[in-house]
Amino acid sequence: MRMTNRLIAGALLACALLPVGCKRQDANGTGAASANAPQHVQIALNWKPEPEFGGFYAAQASGAYASRGLDVEILPGGSGTPTVQMVGAGRAEFGIASADEVILARQNHNDVVAIFAVYQTNPQGLMTHAERGFNSIADVFTHPGTLAIQRGLPYADFLEKKYGFDKVTVVPNTAGIPAFLRDPNMTLQCFVTSEPLVAQKAGAKVKTFLVADAGYNPYTAVLVTRGDYLRSHGDVAKSLVSAVRDGWAAYLKDPAPANAVMTRLNPTVDAPTAAAMADAQKQLIETADTQKAGLGAMAADRWRTLIQQLQDLKVVTSPPKAEECFANP
Amino acid sequence: MSNRWRVILPPLVPFVVVTVGVEVLVRSGVIPSYVLPAPSAVFESVFRDFRELASATWSTTKASVAGFAASGAIGVLIAVALSSSRWVERAFYPYAVFFQTVPIIAIAPLLVIWFGFDLRTVIASAFIVSVFPVIANTLTGLLSTDPALRDLFRLYGASPAATLWKLRLPSALPSILTGLRIAAGLAVIGAIVGEFISGSGIGGVIDVARTQQRLDKVFAGLLLSSLLGLGLFALVNLASRLALRHWHASEQSR
Repeated sequence: MRMTNRLIAGALLACALLPVGCKRQDANGTGAASANAPQHVQIALNWKPEPEFGGFYAAQASGAYASRGLDVEILPGGSGTPTVQMVGAGRAEFGIASADEVILARQNHNDVVAIFAVYQTNPQGLMTHAERGFNSIADVFTHPGTLAIQRGLPYADFLEKKYGFDKVTVVPNTAGIPAFLRDPNMTLQCFVTSEPLVAQKAGAKVKTFLVADAGYNPYTAVLVTRGDYLRSHGDVAKSLVSAVRDGWAAYLKDPAPANAVMTRLNPTVDAPTAAAMADAQKQLIETADTQKAGLGAMAADRWRTLIQQLQDLKVVTSPPKAEECFANP
Repeated sequence: MSNRWRVILPPLVPFVVVTVGVEVLVRSGVIPSYVLPAPSAVFESVFRDFRELASATWSTTKASVAGFAASGAIGVLIAVALSSSRWVERAFYPYAVFFQTVPIIAIAPLLVIWFGFDLRTVIASAFIVSVFPVIANTLTGLLSTDPALRDLFRLYGASPAATLWKLRLPSALPSILTGLRIAAGLAVIGAIVGEFISGSGIGGVIDVARTQQRLDKVFAGLLLSSLLGLGLFALVNLASRLALRHWHASEQSR
C-alpha cells in the first residue's frame, strides 16, 4: 500500500511545480508580523493519511498546534508526491520526506533541511511468504524468485551492492500486494508497518525483514522545511516541532483519536488495521536515542553514515555536509 | 536548397526561442533547476547516459511500432465490421468508445498481472491507447462513400466484397490515414505508460530518474520519446503521401 505504483510522469510533476515565484514571496511576506492571527502553514505528506503520520494528526486533534498559535493544514499526498521539490519551490512550508531524499535534494541545490524524524529506525523492508522459511534478508537473494521493488530508491541500490541481484528477477513494484498474493516466490518491498498487515488480512502468512538490519538505516518520515524559511521563521519551525513532538507522544499513548480522523480521510485503511499499524511502528519511533534526546531528534553521525553510504553507492557525487542537512530546533 | 530551408526553418524558430529562454531563466535562478532542468543539462544527460537511453529508446520503439501496427490492423478490421450494418454499429460502437475513455493508468497494474513484466504489457498498453482514433476515423471514412458511386456499384451488381475492396476502402483511405497519424503519437504515449509499470524502455528510465531526483534525465527521456513520436508521425505522413499523391486533393501540390 505504502509503496505501490508510481505512475505520474515527470512531466506532470514539473508542470505542477512550475508557477513558483509568487508563492515564495507570499510565504516570506506575511511572516511573524501578524502575531495575533494564527500562523497558517502547510505540511505536504508523501502518502495518504495513515498511522505513519499519526502524530501530525494527533497534534491537530489535541490542539497542540492551535495552542502555539499555529493553523496547520495537512496536505495528503499520493504515490510519488515530490515533497522535497514542493518544499524547495515554496509550494508548502513543510513536507515529509526521507533522509536520503534530503541528501539528494541538497546535492541538487535544493535547500531543504530536516527538522524532525518520526522513524528512528527505517521501516522499509522486504516481505516474503513465510512458507519459504527464510531466516535472514540474505536468503531473499540466494534463492530464485521475483523481487518487486521501485528501482532508483537508494536502498534498492544498497541491497543490490550488498547481496547482488543475480539470482532474483527484479520487477517494478507496480502490481503490489495482489501480485504478491498470487506468486509464492515473490518478495515485495514494504513498510513493515503497513503491507504485511494488509497481506495477512488477505490470508497470507508473511515473514518480513528490515533493510535497517542489513545496515541501511536512514531517518524516515522526516519533517523538512526550506533553509531560508528556517532562518526567517525559526520561531514558527520551533513551535511546529514542539507541537509535533507533543502530538507523537500523545499518539504513542493513544492512537485512537487521530486514527478516527485518518480512517475517515483515507477509508482504505479500516480502524483495526490502523490500530495494528500504530502498534507495529511504536518500536521504530521510540528508541533508546529518543528517550535521551526526545522524540524526533536526530544525530549528526547518523547523517554522516548515510551520506557515506550514498557516496559508496555513487548515488551522491558532491555530498553535502551532515550538519547542514538537519536541525533540532 | 532554399526551398528545403523554408520547410525546416519555421519549426526550428520556436524550438530555439524556447530552449534559449528556459536556459536563461534557469541559469539566472528565476526557475530552480530542481523544478525545471536547464536544456543544456538535458542535452548533457542525453550524451552522458547515451548507452542506457539508446537501448531504452530501442525497446520503446519496438513496443510502440508493434502497438501501432496492431492498432492499424485491428482498428481497420473493427471499423469494417462496424460499418457492415447500422445494427452492428449501434450494438458495438459504444464498446469501441470504451477504449478511448479507459484510464490506462488505472488498468495498467492489471496488464502486468495478465501479461507479465515483459514487452507484451507495453505493446498492449500502446494498443489500447491508440486503437480508437483508427476505428473512429476509418468508420467515418467507410460511411461517407460517395452515394452516386455506391449506386453505380450496385447497378453493375458488384459483390459486397468487391464494393468494399474497390470502392469503400479506397475512398476511406484519407480518413484511415488521419486516424493512423493520431494513433502514431498515442502509441508512443501508451508504450511509455506501459513501461512505467513493467520497468523497461524510456518509461522505466524516467521512473527511476524521477525517484533519484534526476530531472535532467527525466527530460532527456521525454526528449527522446517525443523524437520517437515525431519519427512515427513522419513515417505515416510519408506513407500517406505515397498512397494519395496521385488522386487525392489533400496530398496534391499546394
